[in-house]
Amino acid sequence: MGKPAVLLIGAITHVKKEWEECGAFAELKTFTGATRQEFLKACEDGSYSDVVAIYRSNESTSLTGPFDAELVSRLPSSMKYICHNGAGYDNIDVSACTSRNIQVAHTPQAVNAATADIAIFLMLGALRRIHVPYTAVRSSNWRGASPQLGYDPQQKVLGIVGMGGIGREVAARARAFGMSIQYFNRSKLSPELEKDAKYVSFEELLKSSDVISLNCSLTKETVGLVGKKEFALMKQGVVIVNTARGKLIDEQALVDALEEGKVFSAGLDVYEEEPKVNEGLLNNPNVVLLPHVGTSTWETQRNMELLVLENLESAVKKGLLVTQVPEQISKVKL
Amino acid sequence: MTKPLVLLLGEIEHAHEEWASISEIADIIEPKARSREEFIKECKSGAFDNVVATYRTFQSVAITGLIDEELIALLPRSLKFIAHNGAGYDQIDVHACTAHGIRVSNVPTAVDDATADTNMFLILGALRGFNTSMIALRNGHWKGSPPPPLGHDPQGKVLGILGMGGIGRNLKKKAEAFGMTVQYYNRSKLSEELSGGAKYVGFDELLKTSDVLSLNLPLNKQTRHIISTKEFEQMKKGVVIVNTARGAVMDEAALVVALEKGQVWSCGLDVFEEEPKVHAGLIANPHVMLVPHMGTWTVETQTKMETWCIDNIRSAIEKGKLMSPVGEQKDI
Repeated sequence: MGKPAVLLIGAITHVKKEWEECGAFAELKTFTGATRQEFLKACEDGSYSDVVAIYRSNESTSLTGPFDAELVSRLPSSMKYICHNGAGYDNIDVSACTSRNIQVAHTPQAVNAATADIAIFLMLGALRRIHVPYTAVRSSNWRGASPQLGYDPQQKVLGIVGMGGIGREVAARARAFGMSIQYFNRSKLSPELEKDAKYVSFEELLKSSDVISLNCSLTKETVGLVGKKEFALMKQGVVIVNTARGKLIDEQALVDALEEGKVFSAGLDVYEEEPKVNEGLLNNPNVVLLPHVGTSTWETQRNMELLVLENLESAVKKGLLVTQVPEQISKVKL
Repeated sequence: MTKPLVLLLGEIEHAHEEWASISEIADIIEPKARSREEFIKECKSGAFDNVVATYRTFQSVAITGLIDEELIALLPRSLKFIAHNGAGYDQIDVHACTAHGIRVSNVPTAVDDATADTNMFLILGALRGFNTSMIALRNGHWKGSPPPPLGHDPQGKVLGILGMGGIGRNLKKKAEAFGMTVQYYNRSKLSEELSGGAKYVGFDELLKTSDVLSLNLPLNKQTRHIISTKEFEQMKKGVVIVNTARGAVMDEAALVVALEKGQVWSCGLDVFEEEPKVHAGLIANPHVMLVPHMGTWTVETQTKMETWCIDNIRSAIEKGKLMSPVGEQKDI
């Protein structure tokens, strides 16, 4: 038996050379189809009978559909590792993988700075309600018909939901803008990690934050985390920023809260049903919207691809992943 | 004894209480004029005789026009103080004011945070190239077709600050939080304490070695078009330029050419040479970030600025001197 095989689903854009170099320790295969049926057929007709690891991404979900329980159950028996390009991996059924002894890696850390940068951009834009003047000047209308003032971030309270790698990078930047930080997290962080940020309950965070930034992962427990009940608890004129996952927020409830004036503005990079966006958001002049470009930079995309290859190499050579998903590392549910 | 006379040029929009307290120590008058011609007539009619100090706003230029030699010569002899509400005071010919015995103040510091915040917003927007996708999404096309080009991270990039005054120094702290390295050019080298460890470089080196160039200097005779064709040619290919200072420090037409050539990869602008007019070449470029001179457009900062300017008026009346005279007059 020769080298084990690794299977690429989707594109590698920035590290083609490094991917070719993986040929030193593995046979390189690529999924050339475009549908879930084609993928499942290839899994079951022996084409991938020696594949031990897969390189996939959030984008490749459009080729194969999500890596849900059904698909995971039909992966060849040789499969041991799924190396995912993306910090968020809600399109992989991790417990189905665990049941089949398939280990899953994602790409944390590499995404932290770029995602935090966009969160701050969205926050500043939302505080200024930048959409109207932004579009007015581009249509030669200068500031628009009735320009209005925004608000400064200085001395405002930023509430971070999910104080992981990205949340802490958001905190570091927000401090430079004179904001005070409070956070909700599944558990309180060590003093070194939380620094001067205050650990509060979810309810306290909703009630007392001037700006709320969502930086937690999407799980069964966090779907619809922020809905009508939560908006009712928030401060009048709160600003919402979401660079995590759209499904964390009940999008219609957000639209209602914006129209009522409860929410002053929102800065969003993610939506419940991308690429579809609630009409109420598209038509709202007070929000700042970006189409899920949180990590869309040359440097970060390259670093993410490199990290997936690192995981592949470590998996094939050592039987270990570099950045395994947290659910599979800790046996204790937090 | 009658109270001294103060002339209000423009509107007070936020600091109403503070302004009301001025009426305890001064009588306030406003012009009836709605154009420079009318204002000149009103000056000549003696309507403003005995005015000691004037509070003026940036927008009041719509009534008076620029405070130049022609206008200053017609102001009443009694006028000794002009308190300008704004950091940039290029609308006022300070040299002519000095010659006529008039002291001028501006509003530094109160503007620093909001201007630097706007500056940072533009740096991020220009580096990341957000414009195409923001517009595509709003038009219902998600990311647009073709999809937007990838942007760049600020981490590890060199930010060159031209003009390390209050705003430049404020910007440095924010840019460093995004992992940028800061270097600066200034009329004079700053102390380590003030510069916070930023590297002081010559003007040419700033142009040659900065990945992002931020313009944070005042507009005056020496700095008009300080960035033009010759300077673009010295810059790194693919440089990103951000301007929250004054449009005229940069040659807007030359910028458009530099963008078209790819010499400049993107820019973020809050100010333009002939506001509210914006060069068509900028509007037509989908890879730039444009906002309409809103650097200090927040409730908190506008209030702080008005209060600061009112404090200059109070200081002029009660102490016979301004609180924050402009740099050119500090030693008088």
